[in-house]
Amino acid sequence: MKKFLSTIKWKYYIGYLVITLALAVTGILSAVNALPNSTLYLLEEITIALILAISLSVVVGFLGELSLGHAGFMCVGAYLGGKFSAVICEKFAVSDSNFAVFLLSLIAGGICAAVFGFIIGLPALRLKGDYLAIVTLAFGEIIRNIFLNTSSESFGGALGLPTPRMNKNILFVFGFLLVLATLAVVQNLIRSKHGRAITAIRDNEIAARATGIDITKYKLLVFVISSAFAGIAGVLYSYTKATVRSEIFDYNYSIEILVMVVIGGMGNLSGTMLSAAVITYLNNKLMAVLTGNLAVLQNLVYALILIGIIIYNNAPALKNVREKYNLGTLWAKITKPKKDPAKETDDTGRWDVVPTKIEMDEVLTVGIIKKDIEASEKKEEGKDE
Amino acid sequence: METFFSTLINGLSLGGIYAMIALGYTMVYGIAKMLNFAHGDIIMVGGYTIFLFLFINPIVAIAAAIVFCVVIGILIEKLAYKPLRGSSPLAVLITAIGVSYLLQSFAQILFGSATKFVEIATFEKKLQLGAVSIDIPTIITLVCSAAVMAALSIFVKYSKTGRAMIAVSEDKGAAQLMGINVNTIIMITFAIGSALAALAGVFTLLKSPAITPTFGAMPGIKAFTAAVIGGIGSIPGAMVGGLLLGIIETFSNAVPALSPYTDAVEFSILIIVLLVKPTGLLGKKRREKV
Amino acid sequence: MKRSGRILSVILAAVMLATAFAFTSCADKNYAADNTTIKIGVSGPLTGDYASYGMAVSNCAKLAIEEINAAGGLNGIMFELIDTNDEADSAKVSATYSDMYQKGMQISLGTVTTGAGIEFKALAEEDNVFYLTPSATGDAIPNGTNGFQMCFTDSNQGTASAEYFNRNFAGKKIGILYQADNDYSVGINNNFKANLDDSLKATMVETSFTGKPTSYDSQAESLKDCDVVFLPIYTSEAAVFMRAATSKMKGDAIFFGCDGLDGIDTAVEGFDINTIKQEVSYLSHFNSKATEGPAAELIAKYNEKFDESKFPINQFGASAYDCVYAIYEALKVAVADGKTITATMSPSEFCDILSEVFRKDDFTIRGVTGECIGNEKSTISWNDDGTVSKNAIKYVVKEANA
Repeated sequence: MKKFLSTIKWKYYIGYLVITLALAVTGILSAVNALPNSTLYLLEEITIALILAISLSVVVGFLGELSLGHAGFMCVGAYLGGKFSAVICEKFAVSDSNFAVFLLSLIAGGICAAVFGFIIGLPALRLKGDYLAIVTLAFGEIIRNIFLNTSSESFGGALGLPTPRMNKNILFVFGFLLVLATLAVVQNLIRSKHGRAITAIRDNEIAARATGIDITKYKLLVFVISSAFAGIAGVLYSYTKATVRSEIFDYNYSIEILVMVVIGGMGNLSGTMLSAAVITYLNNKLMAVLTGNLAVLQNLVYALILIGIIIYNNAPALKNVREKYNLGTLWAKITKPKKDPAKETDDTGRWDVVPTKIEMDEVLTVGIIKKDIEASEKKEEGKDE
Repeated sequence: METFFSTLINGLSLGGIYAMIALGYTMVYGIAKMLNFAHGDIIMVGGYTIFLFLFINPIVAIAAAIVFCVVIGILIEKLAYKPLRGSSPLAVLITAIGVSYLLQSFAQILFGSATKFVEIATFEKKLQLGAVSIDIPTIITLVCSAAVMAALSIFVKYSKTGRAMIAVSEDKGAAQLMGINVNTIIMITFAIGSALAALAGVFTLLKSPAITPTFGAMPGIKAFTAAVIGGIGSIPGAMVGGLLLGIIETFSNAVPALSPYTDAVEFSILIIVLLVKPTGLLGKKRREKV
Repeated sequence: MKRSGRILSVILAAVMLATAFAFTSCADKNYAADNTTIKIGVSGPLTGDYASYGMAVSNCAKLAIEEINAAGGLNGIMFELIDTNDEADSAKVSATYSDMYQKGMQISLGTVTTGAGIEFKALAEEDNVFYLTPSATGDAIPNGTNGFQMCFTDSNQGTASAEYFNRNFAGKKIGILYQADNDYSVGINNNFKANLDDSLKATMVETSFTGKPTSYDSQAESLKDCDVVFLPIYTSEAAVFMRAATSKMKGDAIFFGCDGLDGIDTAVEGFDINTIKQEVSYLSHFNSKATEGPAAELIAKYNEKFDESKFPINQFGASAYDCVYAIYEALKVAVADGKTITATMSPSEFCDILSEVFRKDDFTIRGVTGECIGNEKSTISWNDDGTVSKNAIKYVVKEANA
């Protein structure tokens, strides 16, 4: 047993462990009716945020492309999956909490969103950096605008699409299970040879191409997987609400998901999950604490915290402070006592410790600054003349 | 035909506003290499400043708005963006979003969120060109934005500061070695960007004289779109993109059946343009090599 | 590795046990059990684009509660308001609702806006919580068992407007400007079009805008030949549109709106209605520039207590004021019927009592909304489906310039 435990790479399983534990605790508590409704709703929100943040981090953290349209994929999933479940529930007169219908609509919503992910992945082959960012933003707004103007019989238009609502005592359990599924797929993808190909594209696309990596295939794969899970989050969302309304899925929502990914650390899944949960919790608590005339302070406090965290985490001037006080070093202080050098060297040769974390500087600067390239390009242009 | 021309004129005047905002976006992006999502909210700050000072005199109010926006722009740069110089563009992007929330909350705390109507001036006279009449704000907007574009191009190309800006945008490190104070140059860029936002606020109020704390958000996004269509970082590109987007929006709104889909139409045009020309209409083409 | 894993699992197990013990005590709790006042909850946009509606509702409800408490409450039991901010966002309602529920909400005013209201309805039906919404006009909001409305439904307003148009504007060219991303506007517009005479529909021009556009020029251009423009939109958008359109349109044209236009001449600070050359009128239940009667009294009290330059009073607020009084009157009726009311009763108990009273045919109140000066029949009562029955009055804000 001892030996078994020591061979486990805790770093990779900690996500599963925490989610499973959270599920166990909340599941038991809810079964004995000890959780207030507000907690159940908060758990629903947190699971949706987790799925969205994990799936977005595949695009932003691992592929290194900026996407501002994640809410658009969620919108596709929420509308198409929600419509699917609403039609089935009505046609076969099954209850809103029917598990089979829920599962089918998850699949339907996921597939529909994946198709849209494929479509938006195509321009991603041609565009880089901020240009791709604005295209994804535009895509999200187009999707939203189209659903907004549908007739009331088809997708409800501005009045919203009525969707089945699942019992809140069960839904968050499914939510946690879906988070586990998302995590499993994403983590296994990243740790596979495909994952290394994806991070290779992020680090240097041209070098990756030179080594024979099929860029087209991998970029599309990432967009398809990421948007499929965003679609699943959308279906889950539709099950938490009585109606799905297009105004929810605006670019501000995409940005909120991006904030979770960036604060959590690019390419750091545990960090992303932590920040997604904390941000959702924080927003919820700010709403509950600052009411009435103080409500206007909600955004102010949120904005100040956001700016503070980003500056603390990223400002070059604060590097020393950061290294002294952070979760990693604190954790190390608690657990450090004995370090076994033999085991550390053992790790370095293993394929599964290929670094998945990256410095944020590398992301998005590709193709924008590239000093040497521009310089050489200019030289060449000169020659042409 | 008459409707066509008046719609075209309306489109140009809206495009002039977008161009003005897009010029600010493009300046900041070109030199500081950051997407300043709070740019739209500077317009709002300008709008409220005009609201506060309008009782004195429209000219004073406009001047106050420009000065105040420049001060706010520099402050934001110093407090929120400068500490992040040298870290990732994504961190700066998120900070910019935070600043945008911050400005909106401050506006709501100070002024409430009810719409305020701010008519800087009323113009009853119109310029008649055959059957088409053009109102004065349209002419002011168009002339001003063209003049600003020209002035900016000349400034960047021929003045010492402007050339320093180009140097900073090409290579911050090398620029510093050549004796250019990068911080000052970036500060000047933000000052210019904010002044342009204040002017854009003036033109927006001439066209639709109502301000709310979120009043800059949508024009900001539209102008960002315009800047990208034109090729972000390019000054004439911002002008072309702005005018084009304004015309598209106006024509789409002029067809009743299409008007609910205006946003979709505009953003589709953006995607199509980028698919054909990945760096925008007038953007520089970049080849990548290892 | 081994060590950190073990420590981690110990910590997590401890956390698990602690939370398990912490929560087991509150199983199936009736959150109102230790209330000392009757708590009325309302969820509305206190920030964001619609904050002026939410804040007016919150302020007016506070005003009414203070008045009732000052007059001795309900046989000595005081009332208290819990207001939460949903930013008119339907995704936030489950949070605001459950938060209010936990803070001891027993009766509610539902939500301020329709989209949020539909979520609120689903949640309130589960817990059997009574709500009387001041301003969520959607047709789906009331249900007659626990959900009631103080405002007219979208279909009522659309139909009433269409009938008015059919009677008064035969042979004229009708134009419509609606807001495509607003359920209130789309809801009224759909009902309006469905009930408009075919002869009027034949020449009708319909156009729309989304969000807060920078320019209304195209819309004004499309509608410039119309004799009557129907505006099922809110004041701030209408003010900007009319300013852009007034010089393009005929002098004898009419701008005609619904209750969203209430306060068009006062709610938008700095907007001078006299710069509009045409007639401006609307169909509503409250006149926010009333100079006499109960409406005028409310406006005076409101302006004394709150900063009207930030959040001016409007029909949303007036409805909320009436809502609180309606609940108060209904509780008084229940007491007169021999029911006992205590501050610790559960939301469900309140709901049963209140919905019984509200469904009574003879339960009517007089309020600040639906008030025709000098008309003795200006009362408010409720239909069995939860919709309100009161006077809709056409207010002419401004005559056409001569």
